[in-house]
Amino acid sequence: MSVPLSQMFTVASYVLRQKIRGNKRYPLVLMLEPLFRCNLACAGCGKIQYPAQILRKHLSVERCVEAVEECGAPMVSIPGGEPLMYPDIGRLAAELVKRRKYVYLCTNAILLKEKLDQFTPSKYLSFSIHMDGVREDHDEAVCRDGVFDQAVDAIKAAVARGFRVTTNTTLFDGASPLRMRRFFDEMMALGVEGMMLSPGYSYAKAPDQEHFLRRARTHQLFVEMLSNPKRHWKFNQSPLFLRFLMGKHDYECTPWGNPTFNVFGWQRPCYLLQEGYASTFRELMETTDWQAYGRRSGNEKCRDCMVHCGHEPTAVDHTFGSLRAFGETVAVTLTGRL
Amino acid sequence: MTLEGWVPQIGEHLTLEEVVEFAFDYRGNTTIVKTDGAEVVGYVFNRNRTVAAPFIQFFDEEGRGPFTLGYSEIATIKFTGRDTAAGNSWKAWLERKEREKAGDAAAQGMSPRAGDADPDGG
Repeated sequence: MSVPLSQMFTVASYVLRQKIRGNKRYPLVLMLEPLFRCNLACAGCGKIQYPAQILRKHLSVERCVEAVEECGAPMVSIPGGEPLMYPDIGRLAAELVKRRKYVYLCTNAILLKEKLDQFTPSKYLSFSIHMDGVREDHDEAVCRDGVFDQAVDAIKAAVARGFRVTTNTTLFDGASPLRMRRFFDEMMALGVEGMMLSPGYSYAKAPDQEHFLRRARTHQLFVEMLSNPKRHWKFNQSPLFLRFLMGKHDYECTPWGNPTFNVFGWQRPCYLLQEGYASTFRELMETTDWQAYGRRSGNEKCRDCMVHCGHEPTAVDHTFGSLRAFGETVAVTLTGRL
Repeated sequence: MTLEGWVPQIGEHLTLEEVVEFAFDYRGNTTIVKTDGAEVVGYVFNRNRTVAAPFIQFFDEEGRGPFTLGYSEIATIKFTGRDTAAGNSWKAWLERKEREKAGDAAAQGMSPRAGDADPDGG
């Protein structure tokens, strides 16, 4: 695993503080969406289908910082939309770094090379590049030829300038374990710090509804992909989450683990479902009917979901919830064997 | 299926609460008809029916807002704007790729292969 020690320590001490306080529901990563606008229209994305006046809107840097402070999570993920289309993205990143938040700026990297000058390398800032597989798979997922090559160029440029660079990959039905293993080799050869994986979620508003993974198929795919992992593969996420995707753990969703803030407010209940908005983080936490979500709730929308934003916080909480789970995490981290 | 163009008639078989739920789920602008007859075009992004005075929240057509309006002030909501989730960009892209592949295959089929004899001799 490839998460830097300082980040591991920050997250570990944060989670342990929550446990000592007896806080059962706490945020781990704030999903901050400063805008919905994007320069791609990917098949599996349900984030950008809005009328023009909504796509033109964006949050101010000040409002973003307020939300980050209100939430208190040690990590901030900036998806969107395409965050590099946000006019103040450099200033926003700098403000969050100044507050010692570990920032993952999730981008398709089309604009990354030309915007790199707006950023300063820092251990707190990572570019998380959207890469859904080898060239043909990625370009098909983003519905545009040439994007894979643009992203590879941008990764090389960012790595050369000393930035932390990771990849984030969403997997859909039909993904080939063999091609994915080739993809892992390619990404590591580019010098990325680590890779993040997640099965896709079937957004009701996404154009492609046919290729979202069901639970059993997810286990099968991740077992075929990650059994016998190569030594040089590094994953920038909880090893227990990867083991969950392989069917070695059964985790329930913790939708409050990655709360989402965007131009509409605090999204209920999670990054993927839009069932309403709260005006403050406190209101979100106190007035959302959390029992209505997660697989065990019987909620049809949650039945097949194994997505990182609901289940990785569960895995992290589990890591610090027992000596056995902590030992398992340490063992996987040291040996690289999933 | 899209609700685009739907003008719901609130009555015995359709409640305002149901129409608000449809509007909340709709990814396009709507026209909110108020009980006083006034109309406002906007995007309904939130509603809360669990509070004492249920309300909707929306941004108007110019993006101003958010505005809050009580259910008691709404007569109906018309689905007048384009449904932005009704597109099929992914299918269109796949079809274009298939056409390109078919075009390439046809072009290769028509070209003389390397090493083939010139049909005109020589």
